[in-house]
Amino acid sequence: MIASWYGYFIGPDLWWAVLIKAALIALILATAFAYLTLAERKVSARIQLRYGPNRVGPFGLLQPLADGIKLFFKENTAPGGRDRLLYLVAPALAGTAAILAFAAIPVAGVNCLGGPAVGQTGLSCPSGYALHWDIAHINVGLLYILAITSIGVYSLFLGGWSANSKYSLLGGLRSSAQVISYEMAVAFALIGPVILAGSLNLEHVVTTQQHLWYLFLQPLAFVLYFVAALAETNRAPFDLPEAETELVAGYHTEYSSMRFGMFFMGEYINMVTVAAIATTLFLGGWLSPFPTSWFIFGYIPGALWFVLKVVVLLFVMMWVRWTLPRLRYDRLMSLGWKVLLPLGLLNIMVTGTIVALRAA
Amino acid sequence: MNGLLMALLILVAVSALGVVFAPQTIYSALSLVVTVGLLAVIFLVLNAQFLFAVQLIVYAGAVMVLFVFIIALLDPASEERARLTDPRLVLGVLAIAGICAAVFIAARNGVTYDTSCTHQAVSCMHGYRVGSGGGAADPYHTFGFPAAQVNAAGNVQTVANQLFHTYVLPFEITSLLLLVAAIGAVYLTRRTSTATGRGGAARPARPAPDDLPRESAEAPRETGERPLVTGGR
Repeated sequence: MIASWYGYFIGPDLWWAVLIKAALIALILATAFAYLTLAERKVSARIQLRYGPNRVGPFGLLQPLADGIKLFFKENTAPGGRDRLLYLVAPALAGTAAILAFAAIPVAGVNCLGGPAVGQTGLSCPSGYALHWDIAHINVGLLYILAITSIGVYSLFLGGWSANSKYSLLGGLRSSAQVISYEMAVAFALIGPVILAGSLNLEHVVTTQQHLWYLFLQPLAFVLYFVAALAETNRAPFDLPEAETELVAGYHTEYSSMRFGMFFMGEYINMVTVAAIATTLFLGGWLSPFPTSWFIFGYIPGALWFVLKVVVLLFVMMWVRWTLPRLRYDRLMSLGWKVLLPLGLLNIMVTGTIVALRAA
Repeated sequence: MNGLLMALLILVAVSALGVVFAPQTIYSALSLVVTVGLLAVIFLVLNAQFLFAVQLIVYAGAVMVLFVFIIALLDPASEERARLTDPRLVLGVLAIAGICAAVFIAARNGVTYDTSCTHQAVSCMHGYRVGSGGGAADPYHTFGFPAAQVNAAGNVQTVANQLFHTYVLPFEITSLLLLVAAIGAVYLTRRTSTATGRGGAARPARPAPDDLPRESAEAPRETGERPLVTGGR
């Protein structure tokens, strides 16, 4: 009975294996969030010729722990005229949506436990247990991620609205308009690699990049995706929703202690998700960038390559944030609708035509 | 499976009632978001993964965001609540009951959607066929699409095949209609130019952005209008 119904959610997989993977991913993402805040401070410090946090632990490595303790024990102040339920739900939704999106991202290739892998890329495993390195092995993985990230808008908007403060409301409005606008650009940019791979299954998309990454076949789509994704995560130079100079802190102005921390967590885990999607679709996912016959490259686990690529992209995001100034709001909107969207459509047309001509 | 579907259906009913009876309009809208999300989960349970994702992206992620957006901004707290004796309410309830009964009867008697159906056959009417498959004896019948074939391809290919081969003309016409509606909405909301007197023929002359930063407040309203329509697609 149990085997039949959970199969609809997570595919034919052992339920405890899925549970372990889910717990592991949640743990890793929470840790990643903590250390990303440190990394951001360190990177920003180096870019501005400072040292960054270096007092707590060696090289400031225990700083996230200190920050976490501070956030948890801080007094939780809340505005009087707030909508109590939504004020409580919004930050929780921010963290949840960000973590949920990660469920469909394959971190490494399939391992066949107790049987040989079938197919040149080892996609199926008829005898033995196929260990997939994503939590929910669904066929429309990419659409699932887009769906979950589109739910994340509610946390920003409701967080801004429920606090009953003008800065929060303006920040919430801006963020929802921005995220909805750039969602289209993100989706259009991702269609290019999907056409080439012929599948929405992310594992399949990675294995089709064995010989050449889609970064080289779809350079325009990669740039479009990266820019639009930066806007979707509300990071500089697109951090209009929390523009300090105009809106104090935007949608989370009225939040304090760990509830503020939850918004923060949502933002940073979204960064990881965005980097992971870019890695999966454009940078060959877990595949090694060098031939596996060289030196020791055959022995390096795929997950390590995946993490490495994600870290590089995260660094680029921080680099961009601390280098470029913030865009004006109308410029942001015209960039999304008048530049990224048409270019995305053009990319789809060209890619589709070439693929169709080659098939014919 | 049956138990899970039952639980989901009960949750859908509860959240749908929440839409009607919520004390504040914003909670009504959020209940509708929950309802839409639960319907998506029902699609997932029925193995329609593609519909699950699309339902979330289009309805929960785009259409309902704009609903919530507008409700939160307009704050329609002073709106008059409907009285139970309102004749429109009675009519509405009767209409809902009628539609529910029609859908229920159709489902129980196995009105199926069959693409192999030709128009010459007596039991056929534009692809709808009454009879074999479905019905009380086989409630989870997948109608024209064999379950194995649909699920092997993750339904994307099956849906695409239907949309872009079998029904490509109606599909394109529908999208053209939506495009016309979108352009119409943009045209209706844009300001007419008073300087030229040629209603909307030209944009109001605008100083260079660097000279007049306050002018920028207008631009998002124009561009922000577009997701209203295109997002709904």
